[in-house]
Amino acid sequence: MKNVKQHQSPAIVGTKGKDSSKEISPEKAGGHKRRDSNMVWEFFCSVKLAVVIILIMVVACILGTVILQEKTLDEYVAMYGYGLATFFKFTQLNNVFYSHWFSFLLILLCANLICCTIKRWRNTFLQTGFILTHLSLILILAGGVVKFQLGVKGGVNVYEGKSVNYFLTQMINRQGKLDYVKKDLPFSIALDDFILEKNEPKFQLVTFVKSKDRQKILDVKVGKKQRIPGSDYVVTIKDYIPDAELKQEPVNTSDKPDNPAIFVKLFGSEMATAEGWLLAHDRNYYEDGKQNLRLEYIWLSSQQELDNTINTIEANNAKLSVTMSGQSRDYPLDLNKVFKFEGTDYTIKMLQYVLNYGDKRPVSEQPQDNPAVQIEINGPEGTETRWVFEKFPDWDKMHPAKYKNVKVTCSGITSTHMAKNTIRIFQSPEGKQVIVYIKDKRVAETIPWELGKKYTIADTGNQVTVSDYFPSFDFKKEVIKKSDTVGIPAIYVEAEGPAGKVGDWLFSNNQYATWYTDNNLALVYESTGESVKHYTSKLRVEENGQTVAEKVIRVNDPLKYKGYVIYQSSYDPEAGNFSGLQIVKDPGIPVVYSGFGALCFGVIFIFYIKPFLRKKQKKAAEGQ
Amino acid sequence: MSLINITLIVYVVASISYIVREIWGCKATRWASLGLLILAFCLNLTMVAKRSIEAGHPPFSNLYESLIFYACCTAFVYIIFEFIYNFRVVGAMASVLTMLILLYATLQDDTIRPIMPALKSNWMLVHVVTYMLGYAAFGISFVTSIIYLVVKPFAGKSKDSKEDEDGREILPRNFDKLSYKIVAFGFPFLTLGMVTGAVWAKKAWGDYWSWDPKETWSLITWLAYLVYLHSPLVLPKMNINKSKASVILAFWLLFAFGIVNFTFVGLNYLPSASESEHIYGSK
Repeated sequence: MKNVKQHQSPAIVGTKGKDSSKEISPEKAGGHKRRDSNMVWEFFCSVKLAVVIILIMVVACILGTVILQEKTLDEYVAMYGYGLATFFKFTQLNNVFYSHWFSFLLILLCANLICCTIKRWRNTFLQTGFILTHLSLILILAGGVVKFQLGVKGGVNVYEGKSVNYFLTQMINRQGKLDYVKKDLPFSIALDDFILEKNEPKFQLVTFVKSKDRQKILDVKVGKKQRIPGSDYVVTIKDYIPDAELKQEPVNTSDKPDNPAIFVKLFGSEMATAEGWLLAHDRNYYEDGKQNLRLEYIWLSSQQELDNTINTIEANNAKLSVTMSGQSRDYPLDLNKVFKFEGTDYTIKMLQYVLNYGDKRPVSEQPQDNPAVQIEINGPEGTETRWVFEKFPDWDKMHPAKYKNVKVTCSGITSTHMAKNTIRIFQSPEGKQVIVYIKDKRVAETIPWELGKKYTIADTGNQVTVSDYFPSFDFKKEVIKKSDTVGIPAIYVEAEGPAGKVGDWLFSNNQYATWYTDNNLALVYESTGESVKHYTSKLRVEENGQTVAEKVIRVNDPLKYKGYVIYQSSYDPEAGNFSGLQIVKDPGIPVVYSGFGALCFGVIFIFYIKPFLRKKQKKAAEGQ
Repeated sequence: MSLINITLIVYVVASISYIVREIWGCKATRWASLGLLILAFCLNLTMVAKRSIEAGHPPFSNLYESLIFYACCTAFVYIIFEFIYNFRVVGAMASVLTMLILLYATLQDDTIRPIMPALKSNWMLVHVVTYMLGYAAFGISFVTSIIYLVVKPFAGKSKDSKEDEDGREILPRNFDKLSYKIVAFGFPFLTLGMVTGAVWAKKAWGDYWSWDPKETWSLITWLAYLVYLHSPLVLPKMNINKSKASVILAFWLLFAFGIVNFTFVGLNYLPSASESEHIYGSK
């Protein structure tokens, strides 16, 4: 029977037999006082007490991570309500690990450990592990007390070339507010140099399957066929250029007017002020902000249509379309006017519009790349402000919004911001081509034009020449390698799916996704962002004007001086010119570390060395 | 087919072969199933090595990498135990457990990212390796406890079997003792992992212990197994009969392994997670 027990717990049970015989002896001795003191002693020695304390500690630890710790009173009230917040404060559940009752628990545990160690102390070699582990815990707890009583921990930011002789510690004061306490250092720390080193930019190919709403990052490996999980797409990277440039040369691919384009030159006085291609079906205008002049190229599919259109000047047709519970209404773009959606409690107000969202320039100078209107929706749940994009009507569907039920789109935003004067170059397949000059919303001049001839536009002082015409405009794309070092990398990606095989170059500097033919698979080749490799501070410790210590510190490698340890902890994320230092003083460290050492050796002894020695002893005994 | 899929399949095949061996119990299947598991382990190890080379840093910088390494450790620790003790059924479940860990890894983001400065430390290396070996042992003790609890009602009144130790077969009805041995194997690793973690934290963050949720939960794990290891001293004094005590302890191990997993991957669900320095993916 005894053997089985020992086997069950080779570590701890060992001396049980002897213990139980000792337990009886005080009974025999009689005497109330001795019995009482023995009862106290027995209580503090018992493993049962240890287990109970540990279990309570487990519960406390769980509470300490479930309830947010060391917040200000306001934060508690906001999170848990007034009642619970007061309760937490009263029971110190807002600071479990430094509370009086947790400290009491640790003291009790310590007493238990000490008594237990004394009671079971046998001067045998096999006991080494038991003694070491239990002593080590006492040491670690003692070291913790030293840290709590005498240690300090805080931080300070130092600018390059400057020095500090203090640091700040953070604490929650009695009123439950966050407080900073300034602590003086017995020396000063000068930051001579701060170096922030970043990793080389890495690039990745991100794929997105719209129908599955699933994103997957693919390896950038040339020649590897990669199936996109949960779909039928196969993506292969066929080529990679570390530093690529896209050369585009305009070409005419046929005589059919599939994509008509003209090359226009605009002259001020004699000198060409602007020239370029205008594409009827794509970018068909040029705007000269300074002169308040707009140049447009309008292709019409028949002579008749052309005749009809020449003299029409379309009015401002910018509008907002709102759809809610199956009903749809249009509103003219009118800033700061409040529109009520009839039959509901909703109102809509237009706050501002831009021609290129995110552009910091004034609206009049923005290119018309991404027109958007900012609106405010007022409904039963309060106010929601959102942007509505002309080119991305489904944007709100994919982003969080308060009123998902209210669908808003807009159109014709650019027409609100037409230049005062417009030169329109009309063309149609039958050959009639006319330049129309519109001044102050009235047709001021109509001139038939021919290729290569220069036309003077009324009173503007401008001259216009259409020097080339491509009925079917296209770019001959050519990707060239600029260098072998990583600059703007590009990859040639071939995507295979239900609509066949398509290939194209993806440039890492192109932030827009490239879509596969079926508009369900999107590909983006992008940088993973610059991440910090390491950051170092060249520190100099000065005392009475003399340099007493110097070190280049980095994360994981601090500077130690006079019991203070100075760590690299953060940096200025904006400009990168200050270094965040953490300053710690903990006289308990040697005690705690010896505890750590003893604990490690102790457990190894108990669970590995002791069983081995036991077995050897047993074999030796059997041998005899 | 990717390496991870092949590894997963080999784990499944190994598991099936363990079941076959359990049912028909011929000698040949023992070596076949062990061989398959060793093969799966080697594949898993290859994955770890490959990842390490590709990423250019030890493969524990994110959850994906840690899980793959954890799976590898679980297989490794099981194989060691299989050489020491004749386990029978445990192999099937151990390979299933390993497979599940690996399967869970496939759900994680496997992008290679540059590691943050604080993770560049040798202490971290020791910390993770020891922890994973400890966790692996607890995983196996979880398996033995389940088997013990399942077999227990069917086993006749235990006739304190003499077949024990020294490589002879251990019957599932004695798995309570086996569980204890496995936990005793894992606990020093857990302790070493916790201590090296504290030393690393001191070096990188300036404090060996700051009651960060990850730290606190690692303490909870340690305490849970500490209570288990002290149980033979407490339970006999509590008027609980021996067989009931074994059942309680087996349940305790299931519970403790739950804590292990929560500490490992579940801490993101805590309200305090966003302030933690050490939880995967919180920073």
